Amino acid sequence: MPRGTAFDVIVVGAGHAGCEAAAAAAAMGLTTCLVTIHLETIAQMSCNPAIGGLAKGHLVREIDALGGLMGQLADETGIQFRLLNRSRGGAVQAPRAQCDKAAYRLAMKRRLEMMPNLTVFQGIVAEVVVSGGKARGVKTLDGTVLRAKAVVLTPGTFLNGIIHIGLRSYPAGRANEPSSVDLAEQLRKLGLGIIRLKTGTPMRLDRETIDWERFSPQPGDADPVPFSYRTRARLENKVLCYLGYTNPETHAVIRRNLDKSPLYGGRIQGIGPRYCPSIEDKVVKFPQRTRHQFFLEPEGLETTEIYVNGMSSSLPFEVQKEILATIPGLDRAKVLRPAYGIEYDAVSPTGLLPTLETRRIGRLYLAGQINGTSGYEEAAALGLMAGINAALAVRKRDPFLLRRDEAYIGVLIDDLVSTGVEEPYRLFTSRAESRLLLRIDNADRRLMGYGRELGLVPDDAWGEFLDRQKRIDEVVSYLKKNRIKTPAGDRVTRFEYLKKPEIGLKDVLEWGKFPFEPSCEETRTIESETKYEGYIRKQEREIAKAMRTDSMTVPGDLDFREVAGLTREAMERLEKRRPATLGEARKLPGVTPAAVQSLGLHLEIRRKKALLRGPVPRETGRDDE
Amino acid sequence: MLEDTIIAISTPPGFGGLGIVRISGKRALAVAERVFESKERIKKPFPVRRPVFGTIRDPEGGPGIDEAFLTYFKAPRSYTREDVVELSAHGSPAVLEGVLRLGTRAGARLAGPGEFTLRAYLNGRLDMLQAQAVDDLIRSVSLTQARISSRQLGGSLSRRMRRLRDRLVGLLARIEAGLEFPEEGLRTSAAADRKSLSALAAEVERLVASFEAGRAISEGVTLAITGRTNVGKSTLFNALLEEDRAIVTPFPGTTRDFLREKLIIDDVVFHLVDMAGLGRAAHPVERTGIVRGQRIAREADGLLIILDASRKADPADERLLRRFASKKAVVVLNKTDLPRRIDARTVRRLAGPAPVVEISALAGTNIDALRASIRSLFAPAAENDGEIILHARQRDCLGGVMECLRKAERLLAGRHSGEVYAEEVRAALRFIGEMTGEVRVDEVLADIFGRFCVGK
Repeated sequence: MPRGTAFDVIVVGAGHAGCEAAAAAAAMGLTTCLVTIHLETIAQMSCNPAIGGLAKGHLVREIDALGGLMGQLADETGIQFRLLNRSRGGAVQAPRAQCDKAAYRLAMKRRLEMMPNLTVFQGIVAEVVVSGGKARGVKTLDGTVLRAKAVVLTPGTFLNGIIHIGLRSYPAGRANEPSSVDLAEQLRKLGLGIIRLKTGTPMRLDRETIDWERFSPQPGDADPVPFSYRTRARLENKVLCYLGYTNPETHAVIRRNLDKSPLYGGRIQGIGPRYCPSIEDKVVKFPQRTRHQFFLEPEGLETTEIYVNGMSSSLPFEVQKEILATIPGLDRAKVLRPAYGIEYDAVSPTGLLPTLETRRIGRLYLAGQINGTSGYEEAAALGLMAGINAALAVRKRDPFLLRRDEAYIGVLIDDLVSTGVEEPYRLFTSRAESRLLLRIDNADRRLMGYGRELGLVPDDAWGEFLDRQKRIDEVVSYLKKNRIKTPAGDRVTRFEYLKKPEIGLKDVLEWGKFPFEPSCEETRTIESETKYEGYIRKQEREIAKAMRTDSMTVPGDLDFREVAGLTREAMERLEKRRPATLGEARKLPGVTPAAVQSLGLHLEIRRKKALLRGPVPRETGRDDE
Repeated sequence: MLEDTIIAISTPPGFGGLGIVRISGKRALAVAERVFESKERIKKPFPVRRPVFGTIRDPEGGPGIDEAFLTYFKAPRSYTREDVVELSAHGSPAVLEGVLRLGTRAGARLAGPGEFTLRAYLNGRLDMLQAQAVDDLIRSVSLTQARISSRQLGGSLSRRMRRLRDRLVGLLARIEAGLEFPEEGLRTSAAADRKSLSALAAEVERLVASFEAGRAISEGVTLAITGRTNVGKSTLFNALLEEDRAIVTPFPGTTRDFLREKLIIDDVVFHLVDMAGLGRAAHPVERTGIVRGQRIAREADGLLIILDASRKADPADERLLRRFASKKAVVVLNKTDLPRRIDARTVRRLAGPAPVVEISALAGTNIDALRASIRSLFAPAAENDGEIILHARQRDCLGGVMECLRKAERLLAGRHSGEVYAEEVRAALRFIGEMTGEVRVDEVLADIFGRFCVGK
């Protein structure tokens, strides 16, 4: 029982979203309480033992630049590190790490326990206390009431969670953990637009029962790249992952047993992610393929559990064992935990403001899988933003929003709140219009200033950032001022020469002539900024143009009834709030992107007509198509 | 706001045999029932897509206005996808205004310019290319243009663009998959990507090229008559137009300013321009006219270059022909009714590849042959299966697509990384989006819908 029962911010759920939310709010100086079902499963990695990858690794860097925790912890507890797409350009490179699950959990728990302003409390939240249209606190199953000025809900897959293994199913939030039924029921009653989603996880095997000779080892990088700007320790690869394949025999077993799949038997109604299909999905959807790859990944140093990445399934346990038996090397493997599918409730994110506050209930914020996403990194990013915005709201300060062109976090939230989801949402780099701007190497340049302003970035990290920028600027100005003779005999600036795809920074920077050697991270930034220069300028111009659209003035005398294409709801909201610009209109609840489009169109026509012929004739009564 | 019901006169202003008032929206039927009384035995609501005979009447008991036919188009099978009622009465402005007045009193609102089409667009009945085609069809001045517009309204261009878009999306998906899933071994071969890129670029290039024909169809061909003074330019102008439009005198330098008239030959629209002849100006006004004429000649789509058969070829003629050697032109040998003094070989040499037609503008000899020559040189190739681009904006978008694809090809050849040439393919897709209207708030939409009120 926490000593006081009144807080500034209460965070419900201590997964990846909840931890970031609580840590951010506490670091911003608000008294914060993090309520979780079980204190031992704080920051549990419920599925794969890895963090990062394309777009996800980008998110972790952004979280880190803003002052979040995930990056530091992944570095601290990582046991194998890889930078993906090394042969490609800087914009599509991203770090990925295998983490020791138990170590990660403990490290996060320790961090949170040590944090000033933060209370961690074990309890099952049954209800959000709502009065006057605002969240005022939470009530646990045992009747304890905790009051707060803002509530952040991060229940993950626990809302009405149902686990499926074959045709058997039982309510659970995660294997052997209770699901939250009361809370789910209340959210439904509050009219939050509940949707049903599905995900799954593969079986875990006993390391000692696998014939490792049959699989090809996948080593980590020789020079690991950390997630966090603050990581100083040299990262070490302590384990290997292994690559293996299914075979026609495996597929035959799966096909034969499809009638026992809850998915194909129609028992699961929730929608699963297309990009993370179960093994039975892969076999059904790609019948021409004779094999599918999977990775064997250690779950940690202190355990023999091996995660079979690529084998998620909701087939019966017996069939899972039969599947393994067809794969040489796994034929004697002991299953420590069966694979399962899980269905859970989420809230349609179109009911959220860009601050992640619900449109219906004030001061109630949602983050993580409840917003329709999947992935630890997406959850952490949303948690961080929800925590920051809850804290800002309590402090009565302006909300913190990121644009699509300045962060993947901006893309993520904008996609969610303006388009919504049809399947668990995962971030991809191709979702970003300004992909070449949103790189891991410049996340600090893009975001650390914001983190600093919010009070989340400590002095030492900020000082190092400023040093880094100074060094980068020095190198760039040297490259622009000095020329080099190319093999073709031309003399061009070193900056120009570096634009060639096959030229690296080391080819144009002469030691001795230049006073210092840029770090790997600095090199990455300089190379990207050079090679993408034309595109970067172009995207910056486009951003400036879009911002002009947002700054389009909505005249004070505009009669919104004249605007063709507005729904009654949008019209009433606009009439009531009278936004001064199109950008402000975009942020109003109940004003959909379609409504903003109609309004923008109307303003543009109005402006053109004014240019053409003075005042606008309001009505013509002529149908001239 | 699509909640309300709109009403407008759909036929052109003025007096006519018939006049149509159109009503669209949720209350279209209710409004119609207030102002229209059927004389047929029918059960309400009105039958769908079948005219009903009756009277327009004042629901508050005034006298009936006119007899009319009512046709009811039930949503969504109507132009706007809303309930639409058309009232076809006699085409007197007084009658139609009367119907409007009754309609607004019964709860409809006067429609803004282009609002029926805007609704069709907002309700997803038309995409932007189709909305543009509606405008084209209404404004078409030739049957060819009407035919193409009608086909595009049917969605031919939209379908073509969708196919192009689908192929681009397919290519991009392949490239992106390789980038997004580095551990799945999905990298595409650069050679395959290049092949797709160049095939797509070539197709877009053909579409871009069709704009030359398209513009001739939608805007007409500007044809300037040029030549030295007193070779008979204005006489020819009048002869082609078959009216005494330009003042003709025996004195050189009569025409000082330029005249512009529409000439239709076999369904192709030409804008024929008569202007001051080239040569030494006797008067400052004439000098200005000459300068202006040269500019018009430079900017015209084509020229009729007139030579005087009754005089020897002059260095000025030679200069003129040389200056416009790169322009499409018909060389017209005029005054063949007079004794001939020009040398045939010189004419041939001067004309180069341009066709030469011998006429007498004054006597009206061989004018039809000249028309035929103009038609075959300037008129667009006969319509074929190939889509024709009618609008500069559409051409510009496709030009953008082409540029992006060509650039992507170059980047690929220069061994740039996938995410770089993916940028170009993504930009190409945005250009297509601009054409078909799948982009957010933008000026293009405003441009199209803003246009509906101009000039009518």
